[in-house]
Amino acid sequence: MNNKKKQMTLKQFMGQESTAGVVFSLPFIIGFLLFMIVPMFISLYYSFCDYNILNPATFAGVKNYVKMFTDDPTFWKTIQVTFYFALVSVPLRLIFALIVAMILQKTTLATGFYRAAYYLPSIIGGSVAVAILWRRMFAADGVFNSLLGVIGIKTSFAWLGNVNTAIWMLIILAVWQFGSSMLIFLSSLKQIPVSLYEAARVDGASKWKQFWSITLPLLTPTIFFNLVMQMINGFLAFTQCFIITQGRPLNSTLFYTVYMYQQSFEFYNTGYGAALAWVMLGIIGLITIVLFATKRFWVYSEGV
Amino acid sequence: MKRKIALLLAGVLAVSALTACGGGSSSSSDAGAAADTTAAAADAGAAADTTAAAADAGSAEGGKNLVCYWWGNQVRNERTAAALELYEQNNPGVSIDPQFADWGGYWDKLATLAAGNSMPDVLQMDYMYVDQYAKSGLLVDLTPYIENGTLDCSQISENTMASGTIDGGVYAICAGINSPALIYDKTLTDSIGLTIKDNMTMDEFFEYSREINEKTGVKTDISYGTVNSYSEYFMRSFDIVPFGDKKMNGTAEDWIPFFAQYVTGLDEGWLIDPSIFAEISIGAIEQMPMVYGSSPETRSWCALANSNQLAAAINAAPEGMELGITTWPAYDPVKSDYLKSSQFFSIGAGSANEEEAVKVLNFLINDIDANKILLGERGVPAPANVAEAIAPLLSETDQEVTAFINDVVTPNCSPINPPQPDGASEVYDLLNRVVEEVCYRQRTAEDAAAYFFEEANKIMATK
Repeated sequence: MNNKKKQMTLKQFMGQESTAGVVFSLPFIIGFLLFMIVPMFISLYYSFCDYNILNPATFAGVKNYVKMFTDDPTFWKTIQVTFYFALVSVPLRLIFALIVAMILQKTTLATGFYRAAYYLPSIIGGSVAVAILWRRMFAADGVFNSLLGVIGIKTSFAWLGNVNTAIWMLIILAVWQFGSSMLIFLSSLKQIPVSLYEAARVDGASKWKQFWSITLPLLTPTIFFNLVMQMINGFLAFTQCFIITQGRPLNSTLFYTVYMYQQSFEFYNTGYGAALAWVMLGIIGLITIVLFATKRFWVYSEGV
Repeated sequence: MKRKIALLLAGVLAVSALTACGGGSSSSSDAGAAADTTAAAADAGAAADTTAAAADAGSAEGGKNLVCYWWGNQVRNERTAAALELYEQNNPGVSIDPQFADWGGYWDKLATLAAGNSMPDVLQMDYMYVDQYAKSGLLVDLTPYIENGTLDCSQISENTMASGTIDGGVYAICAGINSPALIYDKTLTDSIGLTIKDNMTMDEFFEYSREINEKTGVKTDISYGTVNSYSEYFMRSFDIVPFGDKKMNGTAEDWIPFFAQYVTGLDEGWLIDPSIFAEISIGAIEQMPMVYGSSPETRSWCALANSNQLAAAINAAPEGMELGITTWPAYDPVKSDYLKSSQFFSIGAGSANEEEAVKVLNFLINDIDANKILLGERGVPAPANVAEAIAPLLSETDQEVTAFINDVVTPNCSPINPPQPDGASEVYDLLNRVVEEVCYRQRTAEDAAAYFFEEANKIMATK
């Protein structure tokens, strides 16, 4: 009797929808805890240690953090480079994505092809192959200079070898990967009610006026979303620098994440690398908070 | 239907939980956690394989499973795997898992494996890292095996053995001997009737560079971005071993000539423009300006490389370019030049089959048949009898390299510097950056020497 009652409850428990949900998401939850949360907190501990991977970590207090802010010019250089890269490339990329999305908004036979074509760089743009291709394109004897030669500008300028232009090669590569933002813009452009444009036309508003008064305000939630996501990605950029420039010339393209990698795995200052990682987390968190704080001043919200 | 699925999943879950318990009970919880971290941090597949293989080796009663890990190129990978297969055939019950990576990936992964207490059984080791790994207790002291005869080192010279000896213990056995070698475009030098001397001095090197630049416009590539060995080689002429105990040896002034050579090259116009290095993978033999440059301004007449890289350089050279091999320039060639182990083999600490691993190591070093497969790709074999046995089988290029080492370097060299301590890789990164600043005219030689010396001392003091 007792036994039977127990079985019933087990069966009931198993039948519950929430049980199925938990069971289905368990692989993710386990993976997330084991491979994200646990290593994260281990790295937090290491950031307060002298640790070189090969020997056990010894606790060293806030030494790593103090060194970073007071005695490491390279740290400040990478901060400067990373901010420059993110703050320039992200807005440019969003503007580009919006322009292309507006062009591709009308559905014709060709737009499907163009949408796919413009999305392609986002899929392949982060890859090693494209990074190497990029390096060859902007070489002194590369495709870009040959093209300049065709229009009459003969030059063997090494775009990646100059302190002032090298970072721009990485920015252009990043801007070129506007595809995912473009797709998001496209879908929200399509959600703007046509009736608003019709009303505007009846009132005699120009295309330009329609864009500023209807399209842009109604897109602000999407712009905000894209801005936050891309900003985070921008600060975490790694491959371009790691493959194309390795920070050269003169650390003018040394991204924060690459410096973190160098400290952790090339110089074996893994404790210091962990501290760098946590400072970056703080920086990204701060920027995201700032972005959210400004939200109410410029993001259109239907609810209010 | 939904309930059935839920039940099924619950069952799967229960089974996996049981398996997890089983895993936990067979190893200490510490080791388990460490292994998890390893799998998470290292690039997934291979590291997990190693961990799994190590666990297998621990539990298997009959068969012995070993992991052999090295870095290198395609030729090395094929030959080493074939040699290991031969060992498996000769020793039934032993199975060896060959694993390889490129240079950069190798050290990332090895460090992670070390942190997870799952060092490979047999591994390739480099002079730059051996000190650090041995002192961290990650390599096996081979002295007892040499004494009981498992590992035969009788045919290896004392000097060569010394380079793998740290604090009285033998932690690494030479896998092949090479030496620094200046590889040059012989077609070019012949065309202007220039003969490049062996054991050239620095002044002769400058003279060659000037003449070649004047007559052909081709530039000179002094080591750039890879100054590690060259700086050490250079400083040996002045009796300076760069690294002391937690400090740099010598004085800031001692480093002025090193930076001054770049300034001289820039002033006189024969040094290759530093901006071209932005476009190539520095250190890759196929992309050295000597073989890669497409115009006189982006080409170099020479490359500072190692003797065992001659074959790769010939492969990479354009059709019709004949390459020559000679010594690196130095203010005092005999003091500067040295023979070295291009790389070592070591045994990882904590191996479940340590004795078998040593036997594999002995096989790779001493077995004639194995070396007939390996064919000195790692450098001239260290045991004299093995080097002799494979000599007739070598290609013309490899025979040229062997002759270069035996006839040019061996009579005119000095013992190698001690292994580089912890901190060296960071100091070399700094040195590369300072050389870059000099080449971009951001610092004078004097300024560079003072800055480098001060910053390098700071780095070493924290180690």
